[in-house]
Amino acid sequence: MQEGDLRARFRQGDPDAVREVYRSHGRLVYAVTYKVLGGRDLAEEATQQTFVKAWRAAQRFDERRELGPWLAAIARRVAIDLYRREAVRAADPLESAAPGESALVSTPESAEAMYDVWEVREAVAQLPPDEQQIVRLQHLDGFTHAQIAERLGVAAGTVKSRSFRAHKRLAAMLGHLRE
Amino acid sequence: MSTSDDDRIAYLSGEDVDSLSPQEQAELDEVRGLLATPATWEEPDAALEDRIVSAIAEEARRGRPVETAHAATAEPQAPRRRGFRWPFRRPALVFGGFAAAAAAIAVAVVLAVGSSSPAPLQFAMVVSGTSLAPGAHGSATLTKRDSGWEIQLSATGLPHLANGRYYQAWLKNAAGILVPVGTFNDAEHVILWSGAPVTQFRSFSVTEQLANGNPVSSGQRVLVGTAQPVH
Repeated sequence: MQEGDLRARFRQGDPDAVREVYRSHGRLVYAVTYKVLGGRDLAEEATQQTFVKAWRAAQRFDERRELGPWLAAIARRVAIDLYRREAVRAADPLESAAPGESALVSTPESAEAMYDVWEVREAVAQLPPDEQQIVRLQHLDGFTHAQIAERLGVAAGTVKSRSFRAHKRLAAMLGHLRE
Repeated sequence: MSTSDDDRIAYLSGEDVDSLSPQEQAELDEVRGLLATPATWEEPDAALEDRIVSAIAEEARRGRPVETAHAATAEPQAPRRRGFRWPFRRPALVFGGFAAAAAAIAVAVVLAVGSSSPAPLQFAMVVSGTSLAPGAHGSATLTKRDSGWEIQLSATGLPHLANGRYYQAWLKNAAGILVPVGTFNDAEHVILWSGAPVTQFRSFSVTEQLANGNPVSSGQRVLVGTAQPVH
């Protein structure tokens, strides 16, 4: 489905278009809600609410605009509302809350922080799978090149060169002018 | 590619590099931090797609309610984006000359994926008249472009100025530093430009000025506002 046709059909409220929009933007929306809420269950709830709200407001959507930023804005608001709901609901003293309790992980992120996580997520998604795997193992899982090489059964030099290529691509996609 | 770009890429990938300045390291540490955050990597449950489609199908059966929640409709009417991506809080300096050499990779990757680019960073504000212009009011959007920050101001209640009098717009930061962003005669629809970052210079004002060669603010403020990030 062409992007312009997709936007028009989404604007008309076509449920099939909703599925297509989810497939193209759902992970990014999820990244935004997860960044605010810090937990899978709440992030999924917020993601669902985001798409429902977006569908309800689709008639007001200017189809000349990009869907992504519009969805990100809705996602952030929904996530913040959920965050506040959970904060009110958590009546227990802080000491009794489990570490990593999703309602306590973070304060609502700024709009700029949302743009950052969205852009990094999008950049990572554009990496070839083998490079994406290296970046994840390095940064999210904290493995060294040697540990990654052992884990993947490849030479350390292969990991190093693959890592360099991956980070070079990321730098190209993320290295914009700063004011 | 210059050696310094290789050093930055190496640092980004987790290697110890001594040649980078503390500022460069700090900025790259922010990128590394985002690469290390679960939000960048977590995947939703595969069943979420069906749950969303089912929820919306149910809404459709019951008749779509009007979305009154400000969450879906509060975005101001931004100018049509001209294919500009969201700026990342990283200086182009950090990846310097390498950026041009790697541009082909970025273009090829983007074309291959066919994904749309995100909108530019944007702020918005309501502007209000001061005691000198109590009936004035309006709004503005402030959008980061390649050339700087584009400010689209629409305000009513201010008289047209001419014959040696004009309006001057300003941005001010928390330290009180004032930056001029443009002059005009009528505020109904004005496009202004700021080379100073709105992220730091968020206090907006408009003064009445005399065309007498004195560039400093007259202090005769007629409109004021504070830029807030669009979310």
